[in-house]
Amino acid sequence: MGVVHGEEMVLNIGPQHPSTHGVLRLKVKTDGEIISEITPVIGYLHRCFEKHCENMTYDQVIPFTDRCDYLAAMANNFGYVVAVEELMELKVPEKVEYIRVIMAELQRIASHLLALGVYGLDIGAFTPFLFMLRDRERILDMFEMTCGARLLYNYMWVGGVSHDLPKGFVETAFQFLDYFEPQIEEYNKLLTYNKIFIERTADIGVLPQDVAISYGVSGPNLRASGVKWDLRRNDTYSIYEKFDFDVCIGDGGQGTLGDCWDRYYVRMLEVKESVKILRQALAQMPKDGDVHQALPKKIRPPKGSIYSRTETPRGDLGFYIESDGSPIPTRVKMRSPAFTALSVLGELAGGWMMSDVISILGSLDIVLGEIDR
Amino acid sequence: MSSEQEKLIAELIEKGLAGDMDSINAIEDRVLRSKVKSGLAKAKRAAKNAAVAAAKESSPEESSAEIMPSDHPNQKFAFMIEEKFPDSLADTLNDTHIQIKPDQWFEIASWLKSEPSLYFDSLQCHTGIDLGENMLEARYNLHSMKHDHKIEIRIAVSRDNAHIPSIEQIWRIGDWFERETYDMFGIFFDGHRDHRRMLLPEDWEGYPLRKDYEVQETYHGIIIPKVKEGWE
Repeated sequence: MGVVHGEEMVLNIGPQHPSTHGVLRLKVKTDGEIISEITPVIGYLHRCFEKHCENMTYDQVIPFTDRCDYLAAMANNFGYVVAVEELMELKVPEKVEYIRVIMAELQRIASHLLALGVYGLDIGAFTPFLFMLRDRERILDMFEMTCGARLLYNYMWVGGVSHDLPKGFVETAFQFLDYFEPQIEEYNKLLTYNKIFIERTADIGVLPQDVAISYGVSGPNLRASGVKWDLRRNDTYSIYEKFDFDVCIGDGGQGTLGDCWDRYYVRMLEVKESVKILRQALAQMPKDGDVHQALPKKIRPPKGSIYSRTETPRGDLGFYIESDGSPIPTRVKMRSPAFTALSVLGELAGGWMMSDVISILGSLDIVLGEIDR
Repeated sequence: MSSEQEKLIAELIEKGLAGDMDSINAIEDRVLRSKVKSGLAKAKRAAKNAAVAAAKESSPEESSAEIMPSDHPNQKFAFMIEEKFPDSLADTLNDTHIQIKPDQWFEIASWLKSEPSLYFDSLQCHTGIDLGENMLEARYNLHSMKHDHKIEIRIAVSRDNAHIPSIEQIWRIGDWFERETYDMFGIFFDGHRDHRRMLLPEDWEGYPLRKDYEVQETYHGIIIPKVKEGWE
């Protein structure tokens, strides 16, 4: 007779695994099907972003920020240039601000669409993924129309943007919004209220508010726990105070407040709010104006340091920049929202079943490029 | 040296301190003259040091009297810290950051989080920085979701003794933040329960974000290519 072992088993997920969204390794200790401990191991995609920054001028850093969060490159560009402009106390023309907000919100829709679609895919729903990528494609087409690139843009520059909006952009954008808004209802029918999807996500991986704040979780993940916190509202930057939109929070619609379903649904609600902002911004944008008007000849911020935050699709993106008055930064630290979101996984996944780990990890919407930098 | 001579030197030094250099310069004996002069310099230095020490002793009260009128939140927070934890500030007050000494950091941090009027519940950002001249610095950006105010804490340590108390148990994100700072700068966080490297492999040598970092030649037999100078 053999002996049945009831001991803990160590299981390794990744670094090459489709549902880890990149190169992430999870060391999982399991007791049968139940997770007793989970340790993320990161660094497989470390490209020395911060060290590179110390050898480049301020504007040469911008393409690197693209490559950190490659699914929301516009938002990363935006966060970096806002930080440098704040350090230089540079004022940018109103038209540039409008273009930036339009791009950032389009990027938010594109990023959330991918997050929602891939989340469905993780759990086994293939069709919604195709629908959402189809619509995301139209946004990428608009980016291509504007700056020639589909994923890594280098579009926002310190003091301006690289190109003015092309002819016909505003019309195309309105057409897209008219097409896109009814699609949200379709996604809801396909995925959001699907019985199997709800069974897999509701009441799973509940993140309480105080734990979320202590772990520095931000963005949609924090709002899903019921904290009404959005930097676009609470620590407003650029021209977000001009627009009327709601800060969406989770309400435990299908289960407990702060569960995986809430994190999914907050993103869906935010897509709607972004459409609202886009409609206002496209209508109010000044028709003429030179987008290169405020570009500084040489970027030489005064001696000092700054910590500046912006709201990307994944949460609070912070840049800590230290300048010694030369054209090369002394130190650039990127505080990435996905890094803090992943750090809570150990706390979140303990006690759940093995198959729930994929649900929980997917609901956090991490991008490894940003975590490893 | 005879006691008579000593007496003479002491007299001359006193004259010199009073401003009478002529009587010293008039001394014929070179040895005696140089002795008097060196004694004079010593006396002057001692007087200066005493004055500096006296100024230092009285300065905390003076500076607190000065900062009270300032309404800048940063100065107010710094003053509150100084009141609660005497002798914890390492620098004079200013509007951008609060420079503190490492020793009491854990107690200060827990107080910053628990004190109802401050309530810094969120550690926004933590990073290290290489100040050069053998000094490293850890910086903490704290934010209160409830009161919507923020501060930046800076703690400077020397490279030879780069130890700072860990605040990982106060703000849980400190766990990963501190591991990353240790990984990149080699600042040790005492009391951290999982003090390992974050992004680099465990057996990597050196701390890459220090300004004088030199990459190792090989890693497990793989030759590491050297970075080219400048950009093409």
